[in-house]
Amino acid sequence: MSAEGDASVRELTELRELLVGAERRQLDELRRRLDTFELTPEELAEKLPQAIVQRAARDRQLAIALAPTVENAISESVRRNPQEIATAIFPVLGPSIRKAIAETMSGLVNTINRAIEHSLSPQGIRWRIESWRTGVPFAQIVMRHALVYRVEQVFLVHAETGLMLEHVPEDSSGDADLISGMLTAIGDFVNDSFEPRQTGELRAFAAGDLTVLVETGPQAYIAAVVRGQPPNTLPLKLQTTLERIHLQWSNPLASFNGDATAFATTQPLLEECIETVLSTDSDATRKGLRTFAWAIPVVLVIALVSWWATRGARQWNAAVERLEAEPGIVVIRSDRANGKWQLTGMRDPLARNPSLLLASRGIDTNDVAARWQPYMSTEPALLVARARRVLTAPDGVTLSVNGDSLVVVGRAPASWIARAKALAPALAGIGSVDFSRVSPGLPTELGEIVSEVERAHAFFAAGSDSLDATALATVASVAKKIEALIASAAANRYDIVVGVVGRADPTGAETNNLALSRRRALTVRERLVSLGVRPSRLTVDAVGSNDPISADSPAERARLNRSASFVVRAQPTASDNGAERAR
Amino acid sequence: MIQKKVCMVGVFGTGKTSLVQRYIHSLFSAKYHSTVGVKIDRKQVRVGETDVNLLLWDVEGRTADQEIPASYLRGAHAVLLVADGTRRETVEQLFDLRELARSAAGDIPSIVALNKADLKDEWVLTAADTSKLITGGFHTLTTSAKTGEGVEDAFRWIATATMKDTLPAVQPQVRHGN
Repeated sequence: MSAEGDASVRELTELRELLVGAERRQLDELRRRLDTFELTPEELAEKLPQAIVQRAARDRQLAIALAPTVENAISESVRRNPQEIATAIFPVLGPSIRKAIAETMSGLVNTINRAIEHSLSPQGIRWRIESWRTGVPFAQIVMRHALVYRVEQVFLVHAETGLMLEHVPEDSSGDADLISGMLTAIGDFVNDSFEPRQTGELRAFAAGDLTVLVETGPQAYIAAVVRGQPPNTLPLKLQTTLERIHLQWSNPLASFNGDATAFATTQPLLEECIETVLSTDSDATRKGLRTFAWAIPVVLVIALVSWWATRGARQWNAAVERLEAEPGIVVIRSDRANGKWQLTGMRDPLARNPSLLLASRGIDTNDVAARWQPYMSTEPALLVARARRVLTAPDGVTLSVNGDSLVVVGRAPASWIARAKALAPALAGIGSVDFSRVSPGLPTELGEIVSEVERAHAFFAAGSDSLDATALATVASVAKKIEALIASAAANRYDIVVGVVGRADPTGAETNNLALSRRRALTVRERLVSLGVRPSRLTVDAVGSNDPISADSPAERARLNRSASFVVRAQPTASDNGAERAR
Repeated sequence: MIQKKVCMVGVFGTGKTSLVQRYIHSLFSAKYHSTVGVKIDRKQVRVGETDVNLLLWDVEGRTADQEIPASYLRGAHAVLLVADGTRRETVEQLFDLRELARSAAGDIPSIVALNKADLKDEWVLTAADTSKLITGGFHTLTTSAKTGEGVEDAFRWIATATMKDTLPAVQPQVRHGN
C-alpha cells in the first residue's frame, strides 16, 4: 500500500507538473520578484525617459543629482577630444559670441567716432562740411565714403586638405581649386610663422584695393575676394554662412574624401555673399534734411530780421562809398546825429551833384545834412572836364590826361588848334599839352569828298602792277575828285596832299611784296599825273602786306590787298604866297 | 569630379619641381617656394571611368637647416617622395620623410621617385639600395625630368592608390643605372 501510495503521490506530482507546471514556475518567479523587488535593464530602458520627464516636472532633484555627473562627463570629453565638442557646439556658440562682441564693439565705435571727429585733414574738413550741410553725423559720412566694395569671388574650402568644396561665381576662375589650395597654404604659412595661438588665425590679407577675407570653421573655411573697402558686416555675413554650412552639411564635411559633389547645393548660400555695394547718399541726404526741416524757417526769420535791422546803415555806407569813388568828391566825415545823416567833405564844382548820387542809391536826401567845401580836383576826369569846358573843344576832338599832360586827339579846325595851344597850359593841373595827334580838319562839306577818295581802291591782278579797265576807271574818277578837293580846299585856305598807298597780298616773300606794292602805287600815281594831278600833290607809300585791309575770307582779303588806295591830308595853307591857291 | 591632395616632398635639390613641370597645370610661379615654401599645381588623371584632379603640393625641399613644415602635409591623400639617384643621402632620408608624412596625414599611400635616371654615369644606387627600399615597404620607380620617364606612371599610381582600398602594383619599367 505504501509502495502503491508512494507511486500515487509521484503520479499526482507528475500530473500536477503536466497540468499546471508552467503556471507554478511563473508563480514562483513572481513570488521571488515580490520578495526582492528590482527592475531589469530592459524594464528600466522602457521606463527611464518617462520617469525623467515626470520627476523633472515635480522638482529639481533630478537636475541636482545629475549635475556633477554631467559636468564630469563633459570635462572628460573635452580632455579626451576637444575637437569633438568644439565641432558640436560651433554652430551654437558663434551667434552668442558675436552678440557679446557686437555690444562691446558699439562702445568702441563711438570712441573711434570721437577720434575721427578731431581729425583735421583736408578730406576730414570736406566731409565735415558735407556733414554740416546734410545733417548726417560726421562718422556716418566717413563710413559712407568708405563703403564702396564688391565681393567678387567666394571660396568654400575644406580646412584639412585645402581642397575646394565650392566656388562662386562659377565662371570666374578655372583655377579656383589651385587658389583654394594656395589660400590654405598661405594660412598654414602664417600659422607656422607667426604663432597664431597668440595672434589668432589669418583673417584677412590685402593687396592694393583687393582684400581676401577668411572666416575659418572647424571643418571648412570660407574666403571672399573683395575689391574696395569691405564693410565690418561682411565678416559676420561670411561667418553666418559658414555656420549654416557646418550645420546643414555636417555629414558630407565629416566624411569628405575628395568628392565635392555634395557641396554643389551650398552654391545659393555662397551666392548670397556675392554683392556690390555702391555709395549712394540720396537716402541719407533726405533724412538729414527731414531731421533739420524745422530749423530752416527759424533760421530764415532770424536772417530776415537782422537784415532788416541793419538795412538802413548798410544802405548809407554803400552810398557814402559811392560818393568817395566819385571824382571831385572827398568825404571827410559821415555819421548819424540828431536823427539825420551828417556828411562833411569837399567838392569840385565840376563834380557830379552829391545829392543826386545819394538819391540814386536809395537815400532820402531830406534825411541828410551835408556841408561841402569847394576845391579844385586834379583827378584826370575833372582835369578833362575842365579843359573841355575852358577850351570849348569841337566834336571831332577827344581830350584825355596822361600824367599832367593833356592829350588832344582828332581833327579840328586850325583856328581852334591855335587857340587851344595858347590856353591849355594855363589850366590848373595841366603841365604840358600834346597836340601831336590832332590834325587840322577840313570844312565838313569837303569831308564827304575826302571819304569818297579814301574809300576808292584800284585793284590789281595777282603779281601784276598794271591797271585794267576797271582800275583805270577808278583812278580816273579819283583824279576828278582830287581836282575838286584841291580847288575847294584852297578856297578854305587848306593845302591838300594825297598819298597813294600800294599793297600786296601776303603770298610770296615780303621783299617782293614790298617792291610790287611800290610799283602799284607808282603806276597809279603816274596815271593820276597823266590825268592832270600835279605831282607835288601826290606822295607814294608802299606797305607790302604789312598793313593789310581786313576781310572775312582769305580770298577776299587777298583781293582787297592787291590794290592801291588813297589817304587825303589837309593842312592849313602855310603862307599867303598864293602860288598854291592859284592852282 | 574627385579631388585629391598629393604632397611632393624630398631633400633639397632632388629635382622635384622640374620633374613634374611639363606634366602639370601651373598657376603660380616658382617664387612661391622661396616665399611661402609651397607651390600648388594640378594634374588630371583618369582612373577607370573617373577623372581625378590631383592637387599637387610641391613643398620646398628639406635642407639641413629647414624641416618640411608638417602643416603642409596635413590632410594629404598621398605622398610622392622624390630622391636623387646620384646622391645616396637623399635616398637615406626617405624613411624619415615618410615618417613625417605619416605623422601629419596618417597612413597614406606613398611612392618614391628615384630621379635623375638620365645621369647614368653619376648614378650611385645599387640593386641593394633599391631592394632595401622595397623591403622597407616603399613602392619605387625611376624617373627623369629630362626624358620624362616614370612621371606619368607615378601620377597614375598615385591617382589609383587614392581611389582604391588596396595599393596598386607599380608597373614594371625599364631600369636605368645599376
